[in-house]
Amino acid sequence: MSVALSRRQAFKVMIGLGGVAVSTVLPKTLSAEEHPAHPVAPPDAIGMLYDSTICTGCKACMPACNEANGLAADSVLSGGIWDMPTGLNAQTKNIIELYQDPHSDEFAFVKKQCMHCLDPACVTGCPFGSLEKSDWGAVTWNSSLCIGCRYCEVACPFEVPQFEWESWNPKIVKCEFCYDQRLKKDLEPACTAACPTGAVIFGKRADLLAKAKDRITNAPGKYYEDRVYGEHEAGGTQVLYLSSVSFQKIGLPKLGTTSLGHYATKVTSLIYKWLSGPILMAGVLGFFIRRNWNRHELERLEHEKETGFPDQL
Amino acid sequence: MISSPVPSTKPLESIDERLRMSGVSRRSFLVFCTSLMIAAPFGLAITDKKTPEDVAAGLGKVIRPPIIWLHFQDCTGCTESLLQTSHPGFADLILNVISLEYHETLMAGSGLQARQALDEAVTKYAGKFILVVEGSIPTKDSGIYMKLAGRPALEVLADVGGKAAAIVAIGSCASWGGIPSADPDPTGAVGVADLLPGSSIVNIPGCPPNPYTMLGVVLQYAADGTLPEADEQRRPKFAFDRDIHEHCPRRAHFDAGNFVKQYGDEGHREGWCLYEMGCKGPDTHAGCSTRHFNEIPDVWPIGVGAPCIGCTEKSIAFRVPMFEVVKLHTIAAPPTSYAAIGTTYGTISPLATGLVGIGVGAAAGAGYIASRKFSRVEADESIPGSKSAGATSTKSGPSDPEPPGGASA
Amino acid sequence: MKGQQLTADKRGTTLINHWQYGVPVTRGPVLTPVLLVLMGIAAIGLGLCAVRFFSPLGPFSSMNSAYAWGIWKTFNVMTLTALGSGPLALGLAAWVFNRQKLHVVMRTALVSGFLFYATGLCALGFDIGRPWNFYSAILPWRWNSESAMLEISICMPLYCFIFLSFEILPLFLERLYYTGNEKSRAFLRHVSPVIRKAYPFAIIGAYVIPLMHQSSLGGLLLLAGTKINPIWQSPVMPLLYLLAAGLCGFAFTIFLLLVVCLRYARVLDAGVLTELANLLSGVCFAFLAVRLVDLVVRGQLHTAFALNGMSWVFLLETSLILAPAIALRFRRVRETPRSLLNMAALACVGGTAYRFIPTSIAYMPPHSTRYFPSAPELLIAAGWISLGTVAFVFAVNYFAVLPGEATAWDHTFRPFGWPHRATPSPLVPAITVESGI
Repeated sequence: MSVALSRRQAFKVMIGLGGVAVSTVLPKTLSAEEHPAHPVAPPDAIGMLYDSTICTGCKACMPACNEANGLAADSVLSGGIWDMPTGLNAQTKNIIELYQDPHSDEFAFVKKQCMHCLDPACVTGCPFGSLEKSDWGAVTWNSSLCIGCRYCEVACPFEVPQFEWESWNPKIVKCEFCYDQRLKKDLEPACTAACPTGAVIFGKRADLLAKAKDRITNAPGKYYEDRVYGEHEAGGTQVLYLSSVSFQKIGLPKLGTTSLGHYATKVTSLIYKWLSGPILMAGVLGFFIRRNWNRHELERLEHEKETGFPDQL
Repeated sequence: MISSPVPSTKPLESIDERLRMSGVSRRSFLVFCTSLMIAAPFGLAITDKKTPEDVAAGLGKVIRPPIIWLHFQDCTGCTESLLQTSHPGFADLILNVISLEYHETLMAGSGLQARQALDEAVTKYAGKFILVVEGSIPTKDSGIYMKLAGRPALEVLADVGGKAAAIVAIGSCASWGGIPSADPDPTGAVGVADLLPGSSIVNIPGCPPNPYTMLGVVLQYAADGTLPEADEQRRPKFAFDRDIHEHCPRRAHFDAGNFVKQYGDEGHREGWCLYEMGCKGPDTHAGCSTRHFNEIPDVWPIGVGAPCIGCTEKSIAFRVPMFEVVKLHTIAAPPTSYAAIGTTYGTISPLATGLVGIGVGAAAGAGYIASRKFSRVEADESIPGSKSAGATSTKSGPSDPEPPGGASA
Repeated sequence: MKGQQLTADKRGTTLINHWQYGVPVTRGPVLTPVLLVLMGIAAIGLGLCAVRFFSPLGPFSSMNSAYAWGIWKTFNVMTLTALGSGPLALGLAAWVFNRQKLHVVMRTALVSGFLFYATGLCALGFDIGRPWNFYSAILPWRWNSESAMLEISICMPLYCFIFLSFEILPLFLERLYYTGNEKSRAFLRHVSPVIRKAYPFAIIGAYVIPLMHQSSLGGLLLLAGTKINPIWQSPVMPLLYLLAAGLCGFAFTIFLLLVVCLRYARVLDAGVLTELANLLSGVCFAFLAVRLVDLVVRGQLHTAFALNGMSWVFLLETSLILAPAIALRFRRVRETPRSLLNMAALACVGGTAYRFIPTSIAYMPPHSTRYFPSAPELLIAAGWISLGTVAFVFAVNYFAVLPGEATAWDHTFRPFGWPHRATPSPLVPAITVESGI
């Protein structure tokens, strides 16, 4: 045969292949949420409000969290005696850290755990949907889908997900709002339940935001910048912070108000929408490649005629 | 000790009547009631009152409970702890509060007399008496390792226990086997609850247990016929719901990191925490740290400088070596130690940096050598890889496809 | 072979694509001391991989949760696949932009690209924590289509093990044709037309897919947001990563061709190298233009020229790309092998630096972190690179990779017949063939 396929046929095949690819990806693409720059919390979104000025640093939340989540105490630093993590790690989903100004008496406690972003970067990046936004907005991890690529650790601006580096069957350890352990049983998370002072409280995000703003209004000048950290950071988080010292000093990063998912996907989501970009590219490249390949085939046939050899063999 | 024996034909009187009869002062009784309140601050109906007077008023009207006390494989330590209550009048007092119908250690009679006394008491108070069992019951070889008046303990327990209104297993031996059941367990020792699982049994483990726990349970039963709320091991919650560590007087030393490293060292003399000496306090549920023995402060193992051996825990006592350190469960670090905000993660090994240095050096060197080769053939401005280049190149190794310094990027 | 009279033994040049032709090296010993050293490093690396198979990542690498991606990902995959983008860069230039000359060096680029991808993906296999869940890649309903990581984790293996493998298939077929029996030749005559029919469609995939995943490697870093220094963190990172891939692809192919042709005394048409040098210069300028416009638009120009730590890194990286871009505009530089080699090497370093810096030096998570690859990590990375090098040397020796005339093929040569016949075949000595293009 002279030329394998006509151009028309070639395009048909390409469209066919593209159609197959689209039909597999399309359902997911259509159901996937958009990534607005400033996501709006759904009405049932729950939250936590942590007020650093109330926290006494009793750490009651830490063993409560460990117990609820079945985590062993991280006792490396204490010589096998106490749960003494140096930060969030594979055995610590929740930690009280202390900020101390070396030059003055200024100090503040801060509770670290997953911020449960409204548009979490980890969920956007997770290749097989192991991390997902579950009911009430809790960000949960599913062991049967995770491949251990640790993109979530790279993506999370708060550096919450922790990989079990020492485990043969490593999991991603992160606060899941006690989703399976307690939320599903109509219980509040272990840390808020254990907090004796009310420094961290549980409720609907909207209510907590209103409460936090009330506290700010009732005590002008008490809170740093008179604002709630987490209201807009990284598109908004479901864990909200109040502090009398700078948020950066207590280890909460300075972030823009745009969600990272929006930043990362605003262009690619257009290009990859229904795989239109790659299909278009395949069409354009295919046109030129076909043209050159036909030239090659003609040259080959000519050569065959010249030398008398059946094709190149 | 038993000051005025009661003729067995008479019905039992109330505690008030009995105390008055024996000439025990009201003050002593109030002290006893206070002790009971301390032993059972909550969870026990008879002590759930505002003042010792209220307790005494309630308790006084209670008819003295008839008690039959059986000894099996034991050391009589539990009895001793009951008798060694500190003030001289107390044992008297205690024995006036209850009606001890049969007790092998304390009774005057022996042999046939004793046997008759037991039979009599069991018949007279059938279905009404409280059976206190001290010691474990051997089950191996048809229970021949312990006999009472010619009958094996198994038989005696089945006989007497079947007629009891309630059974109190006092001490670790009666609760689950205790020391006799420790490896290699030659007699097949078991506790009461293992043999009579259907009966209403209260386990009061301990080696020995605090006698007030037993008195509280018995008096509550006498007063309103109920037994206190118990955990899954049938231990009354009012005495066994918390672990020693939670209220240990040496807890402050634990939190501060002051540990005894060796018996007799400075820390030991200063009364520091015994955790590292194998203290089982963090894993042992008992009230010892708040209710000391003999009504004397600090009379309990940790108080006198010996680590807790976990005698109330079936899984620890006589099973875990005494000096083995237990694992702590969900205990946060003491409030003086906090994680800093920005802890640095990770380390850098000098070996690795050296390796990178070697690698980068090798790559750069290879690149330089390759470049030098070209400089030789550059003179004739010919295309690369010409014949002259080939002649000189046979000695050079296959060049690294990695660019020079690529690893350093 | 164009215009050249064929020899009478009816052995032609290539089976599938006669624009790409080559001849194995059939001279000299294969096992040189340098190769033995590389094999030693590869053996150590593979041995450590076996250990890693039974060991968690923690004690093995110095990765930590603040710095979660070690050099296996950031160097072996994200950086070295840029060097392995020769097939993409040359292929687009040759097939789409019709640079006919480049077809003859495609095989060198293809083999090196395949080896970079394959070794990188193998290293990646030891990097991921839960590889047993990777079967999700074939279950489309599990895909998170928004994830750049998904794109990479599916497209990279797909590209390497389907499309690139398809493109290097002729090497094996020719090997079989020349050394096999009549039966195998008959079989090859039968299958070759089928392969030729599929060929243009397959290479569409071979260009579209790396365009997708090479840009997605940059897209991957968008989610890292403020963790990456603003000089590098930019919405055009996907485009820049793609351009850097093209840049490295051209530069590394030039470098490799020069080095290999020098080593194996292979004649190469200067026109090909000049063509490549021109393209390299063009891509360098395109890269720098995008970089500059991006910095200006984002208002980060002052950060880039602040002359502090990160600024110096940026300036070094940029000058490593700018220098060859300018130098290769000069005919004298282009046509002098040594300066061409040096400039190609500089461009390689510059391009890989751009690909490597955002995930290493410029990756500054809020938690202070110290990451330097541990010795086993380094040895595994070096082991895979060495293995790739060794494989390349063997490929050059046993397969028709390097450009050359088919008539120079030593038919008496048998693979794995070590030591190599030191004397050239009496039939047609390879080195006497004139320039073939």
